[in-house]
Formats: sequence, C-alpha cells, structure tokens
Amino acid sequence: MTTRPRLNTGRQQVIGILAIGLFAVLSAVFLTSSFGEAAGFPGGGSITAAIGYAMFDLDAGAFPSEGFLVSFMVIAVALDAALDVAVMLGQREDEEGVAADGRGERGDR
Amino acid sequence: MAAEGGIFTFAPAIAVLPFVSFLIALSAGRYMPKKGAFAGIAATGGSLLLSLLMVAQVASGHAHHMELYTWVGGEGVPFELTFGILLDQLSTLMLVIVSTIAFLVHVFSLGYMNDEGEPGLPRYYAELGLFTASMLAFVFSDNILMAFMFFELVGLCSYLLIGFWFRRSGPPSAAKKAFLVTRFGDYFFLIGVVGIFATFGTGMFGGPGVEESFPVLAEEAMSAMAAGEAMPEAVTTFFGLSPGAWFGVLGLLVLGGVMGKSAQFPFHTWLPDAMEGPTPVSALIHAATMVAAGVYLVARMYGFYALLPTLLAIIAFVGGFTALFAATMGVVKDEIKQVLAYSTISQYGYIMLGLGGGGYVAGVFHLTTHAFFKALLFLGAGSVIIAMHHNEDMWEMGGLKDRMPVTYYAFLSGSLALAGIVPFSGFWSKDEVLYETLVHGLGGSPILLGAYLMGIVAVFFTGFYTFRMVLLTFHGDPRSDLAEDPEPVRWNVKIPLAILGTLAAVVGVINLVPVHAVVGAVPEFLHDWLFHGPETLNGAHYEELTEQFAGYSAGAIPGLGGLGTLFASAGVSLAVALAGSALALGLYRGPDPAEHTEKLGALKTVLYNNYYQDEYQVWLAQDLTEGTVAGTAKRFDDGVVDGLVNRVSDVSLVSGYFLRRVQTGIVSNYAALITLGLVVLLVAFGIMGGWFGGVFA
Amino acid sequence: MAVPVQYYLVLSAAIFCIGLFGILTRRNALMFLMSVELMLNAANINFVAFSFQHGNLTGQVFSLFTMALAAAEVAVGIGIVLVLYRNFADVDVTKATTLRW
Repeated sequence: MTTRPRLNTGRQQVIGILAIGLFAVLSAVFLTSSFGEAAGFPGGGSITAAIGYAMFDLDAGAFPSEGFLVSFMVIAVALDAALDVAVMLGQREDEEGVAADGRGERGDR
Repeated sequence: MAAEGGIFTFAPAIAVLPFVSFLIALSAGRYMPKKGAFAGIAATGGSLLLSLLMVAQVASGHAHHMELYTWVGGEGVPFELTFGILLDQLSTLMLVIVSTIAFLVHVFSLGYMNDEGEPGLPRYYAELGLFTASMLAFVFSDNILMAFMFFELVGLCSYLLIGFWFRRSGPPSAAKKAFLVTRFGDYFFLIGVVGIFATFGTGMFGGPGVEESFPVLAEEAMSAMAAGEAMPEAVTTFFGLSPGAWFGVLGLLVLGGVMGKSAQFPFHTWLPDAMEGPTPVSALIHAATMVAAGVYLVARMYGFYALLPTLLAIIAFVGGFTALFAATMGVVKDEIKQVLAYSTISQYGYIMLGLGGGGYVAGVFHLTTHAFFKALLFLGAGSVIIAMHHNEDMWEMGGLKDRMPVTYYAFLSGSLALAGIVPFSGFWSKDEVLYETLVHGLGGSPILLGAYLMGIVAVFFTGFYTFRMVLLTFHGDPRSDLAEDPEPVRWNVKIPLAILGTLAAVVGVINLVPVHAVVGAVPEFLHDWLFHGPETLNGAHYEELTEQFAGYSAGAIPGLGGLGTLFASAGVSLAVALAGSALALGLYRGPDPAEHTEKLGALKTVLYNNYYQDEYQVWLAQDLTEGTVAGTAKRFDDGVVDGLVNRVSDVSLVSGYFLRRVQTGIVSNYAALITLGLVVLLVAFGIMGGWFGGVFA
Repeated sequence: MAVPVQYYLVLSAAIFCIGLFGILTRRNALMFLMSVELMLNAANINFVAFSFQHGNLTGQVFSLFTMALAAAEVAVGIGIVLVLYRNFADVDVTKATTLRW
C-alpha cells in the first residue's frame, strides 16, 4: 500500500489540537521563567574526551561529571536483550508448527 | 501445695484416669482383649479408689481447693478464668457415686456388649471413658465456667452414646433430639455464665482459700440492699434491676441448662427417646452422669439459689409438676425401659422439689439413693433384655422370676426403693424430700404446699407403675417362647446387680431422719456430713440463707408438733406408695394378667402419646419457627437485605457497562487521554505554583 | 553570547509536541516509531541544554545513553510491528483492538 504522501485532513487530525495545546502550555511556562546566566564550559578542555572518561568512571576529564560505568553495562545488556527480542519476534512461527507434527509432548499446544 | 495437699495432689487423676482409658480404647482398643473394656474398668476402679480416699481425707481433715491452671488472667483483665478443683463434702460424695456407677457399668458392659458380640466396641469404651471423665471433672469443678465446659462435654458424650448404634434408624434421631433439647437449655446456661462473670467478676463456687465467690458476693449484695446500704463494689447489676431481680434473672438462665439436662418439664422429651442407646449407657446417663449433672449444679450453687425465694418456688414447682406428670405417663408404657425412663424424669422431679423446698440435704440424699437404685433398675432391665434377646416388650415377658433369680431379687430391691417402701433406700430419701417441702410449706411459705401435693400424688403413680413393671416382667406365666427359655447371664452381669441390689436396699442408712428423731443414738450421717462442709458451702449456712432471705421456716401440722409432723409425713407417703403398689398387685397379679389400659378410655391415647408433648414441640419448631418466623425472616432477607446488595451491585454493573466503552483498544485514544491528562495537570499545577510568570497569580 | 536556555526548552517542547501530534493523528505503526524517536530526541535536547547551563557533563553523557535506549526501543518496536503485520495483515494500529474488553 505504498501511496504518495498527501495531506491527511480526516477527523482524526482534530485530536492533534491536544499536542498543540500542550506546546502552548509548555512555551508559556518556559518563556515566562528565567534561569540566570549559563555556566557553560570555560577553559579549553576537550568536552568529547571528558565524556569518554566519564563513561568509564575515569577521573581524568577536564569538566565535572558523574561516573557512568554501571549505566554503561546496564545499557549494554539492555541492547543485547533488545536484539534478542527483535530476533525472537521476527522469527516466523510456522517453523514450530512443522516440528510439532512429530513430537508427542508438544501435541497439547 | 504438695506438702499441704497430701493425697489431694492426686485429685486430678480422678478425671484423668478415665480420660486416659478413653485414649487407650480409642487408639489401641481393637488390639486389646475385650476391646478396651479392661482399660475402662481399671481406670474407673482407680477413680473410685481415689474418690474414696478423698472422702476419707475430707472427713478427717477439711475440704480442699486447688487451682490448676489460669488460662485467662493478668494485670489488664478484670477477671480470671481458671481450671481448679474443689473437693468438699458435696463433690466428694458425688465423685464416689459417679465412679461407683461408672465402674459397675463398665463391668456390666462386658456382659451386655462383649458377650453379645456387638461391633464397634473400642468406640463404645472410648466414649464411655470420656463420658465418665467429663462427669467427674464437672463434679469437682471449682468455678461455673469450668463446670459449663464439662457440662457440655457430658452432653456431647451422651449424644455419641445414645447414637451408638448409628446404623439403625432410631438411635441417631434420638441422639440428635437429646443433643438439641439439652442444647436449647444450655444456651440459657451459657448466657447465665456470662452474666455471672459480668455481675460478680468471678465464677467461683467458693471453698477454702477462695477469696471471692459469687454466691457469697450475691449474699452480701442482698444483705446490703436489705439493710439499705450501698452494694458491694464487686457487684454490678444490669438493666437497672435491683440485685434481687437481676440475680433472679441469672438464676433462671442457669436453671434453663439444669432443666434441659435433668429432663424437667418442658425439656423432658429427650429422655424417653434416649432409651435407644445401649442399656448400660442408659444406666450411666440416668443414674449418675448426664441427668444428675443438672440437679448437681443446683446443689453446687445452692448458696445462690437460697437467696431467691421466687426461684426456689419455681424449682419446687417445676420439680413437683415433673414428678407427677412423668409418673402418669409411665403408667401405660409397654417397654420396660420406657417405664424406667419416665420414672427417671419423675425422680429427678423429686430431687428438684427437695432442693426448691429448702431441703438441701434431702435433695442430695435423694440424688444419692436414686443413683444407686436407678442404676440397679437399668442394669436389671439390661439383664432381662439380654435374656429376652433384646425384646423389651413387657407383655412378651412374664415368669422370669424363677429363671433368673439374681436379677429378680436385685430388681425387686430397686423397685421397692423406687416405690418408696420402708425400709429400702428410696423411702428414706423421698420421704425426707416430701417432709422438708411440707414443713417449709406449713411454716410460712404456703405456695410450697401445692408442690408438695403434686409430689404426694406422684408417689401413688410411682408405686403403681413400679409394681406393674415388676409383675409383668417377672411374675405370672411366660407369655412368649423367649420368656420360656431365657438366655442365661454371666457373672459380669450378676455381680454389679448384686452389689447395687444391696446398696439400693441399705444406702438409706446414711440418713435415717425419722429414726434419728426417736433414737438420738442413730446418727444422720449425710446430714452431719453436709452440714460440716467448708464455710459458705455447708448445709447449715444454706439453712440460714433460706430462712433469712426466702423466709423458709419449719412449721408443723397443727396439733401434732415437730415429731408428729415428721411421722405423719412419712406415714402418708408410705401409705400412698403402698396404695399404688396394692392397686398394681390387684390388677396385674395372677398367671395371665390382662391389659387394663382400655379402661382409661380417651385418657389412654393421651397418655400413650405423652400428652402430645412431642407434637407441640415439633409444631413449635416446624410450623411456628420454621414456617412463620423463618418465613418472615426469609422474606426480609430476600427483599431488603439481598435487595439492597443487589441494587448496589446493579448500579456498579450498569455504570461499568457504560464506562468500559472508554477502553476502545485503539492506542491513539489512550495516548490522547494521557496527553489531555498531562495538559490538565500542568495547567493546574502551573496556576497553583505561579509558573506563568505571575499572569494568573 | 550564548543562547538563553529558554529557547532550547521551547525548541525541545516543539519537537516533543510534533512527535506527540504524530502519535495522536497517525494510524501507521511505523509512523508511531518515528514519532517516538522525535520525542526521545526532544528529551536529549533538554539534557544537553541543561548540561551547558550547569557546566556539568552528566547531561551530555546521559543523552548518549538515551540514544542507545532509543535504538533498543526501535529494535523491539520493529519486531512488534512485524508480529502486528503477521497477525492482522496490516500495520494500522486502530485495527489491532483485541486487547480491549
């Protein structure tokens, strides 16, 4: 069902007003508040290198940060799990159906 | 305690021994010779020995009280619930009676149950053991709550034993009837127990070393009221009633349990049906345990009842009426055990009459003698029933006199005692009951004379049905093949009969009041025994109480004096008993007696149907309670209670039906709702927190 | 001078609301995934903006993690879309309504 893009103007669009409303509220809040002067990153240190150090909990960066080694590991595992899940979901199920014919213990599925 | 208690430290064993036999018979009975009978015989024999030791100890020293276990109590609790043992003159006497009868019944059961090859014997002996244990524990209870517990256990065991032959149709329903009728009375008893605890803060009967007991507190409250002083602090009355009225209510509630257990009118209907149980059980129930429990309770807390003249009058009247009422029904019965059943009801009526009429000693005396002669009669009937191969119809018997002489003479001894013929035991005790009621009636409480009159008329019927039973069973010619050639009975039947036969004849010796009045050297053992009980628990104290609070005083027939009244009373009751017996002799003598019940006409039907007592109670239970009251309650329940619940659930059901349409299953809708909620929340918080730069603030 | 943080926030809010608009109005599951990606990146903008505001690198590092998480989410999301297509022969989210009452 590939069709060329066209402007969708059904009744469905009306609900989008909610998103616009949310934007209005957020903007109103943000623009009426003040945060003071930004601290920025003074000095000539390398921000990228500092990020690299922070990720492995090394205390060598030019700018302050927290250690992220544990988060790094957790995210690594999460990505791995997501990959497995994606593969599992993507598998076609009829392979099992073929296998089920010959096995008694799977007959009750 | 142990050093001071001496032999008393073994007192708990009196009840524990039969309980152990219950456990043994239940767990190992089927592997034992005689299926556990010997365990029961040994246990009850041990109880009997210990009870006799206790009597000796109480006689030589003084009464004893010990506390075994406190199961509710402490700082924050206003009262203590305990198990304890009270061994005074009354309870030790009763212990001896109960353990004697239980022992003999166990021996007799060897002949009645084992020799007949009944199945289920371990169960039988287990239940018998538990029954005996409960009754013994009930007797030595030191407080009314403990008494109530064992009172209930006694009821449970009698239910089990009456329904022993549960495969037949009759016994289970008889067992249920006994259980339900007595339970009906016990509801009142339970409320009464709670009331006594709420009122006095203690349920103790009293005794040595007991600081507070409810009869004494009640007495103090009554005296304080009489003197116009403030009530003792420990006593609280309810519903704004005066102590007298409130104590009366409590007494009546407890009396409900007594009347249920002791089969007093109108709760007597269970007892004749209870004959469905094995005959030794009937003997145990009617002579010493179940039925005796009720009147024993009255005697136990007599210090409380003695304060309340109204209750004494009620007890006397219920007793007198029951004595007469049951005696008339016994006149027409055909089964030997039925006659005995009605005589039991009647005799317990006498005991109640004695207690209510101010004759504490007389009531206990009759309880004692009745226990022996009624156990004897039931065991004798059991012997006859063995001989007749479990045919109980007296019209099928006859002529058994020559074929089973031991049974005959023992039975005759019991019958003479029951009829109240001098010098058998029943004469002395029944006479004293009637005498006490008469003199108190003459001495200022004329209402008792009505109860006395019923009692004296009942004596006539007692004599009549007793000798009708004896003549039909043992005299004349055999009226069936079974009676022609009865099965012989063995030593284990004859020995208990012989022992009880002797006892029934001579046990009256313990209180020969008329003889004592003439020859002072002949002592009144029981009278002295009960009058030397512990403080506030002895007969002398009770006499003072009845005199002070109930206004009982001994009067005399005008012109005869005290001694003359005594002999006049004895003479009248003896003459009436002889007249009744003579009428029976006249009607049923000879080789082939005829049935005379036809002459009663319409009365016969009424008597055969026991005055339609069962019918009206069934009507009360079924038509009135189940039909009208329960029907109304059901309509209320269906309409209002259920209706309310149903309407509430209907509302949530309908609202849920509409509300669930929100759940469309379309992701976009959920997202939209979440967004809407977020916007609303943000706006709300923003306005409240002033996020909009003071625009709305 | 540096741009005030408010403008970053407004930008982030705008991108978030565009993503939200997509979720509310589109019916194609793949469009959903893209919209969610937009919303996640709106959050990233906030992280970086406040990192600059406070002179602390934590926000920037965290935005990297967010990207990794977004990748994982897309992997699972694509898998779900696949199953959706297999079961309903369509990727229209309004058709897959069997989870309701």
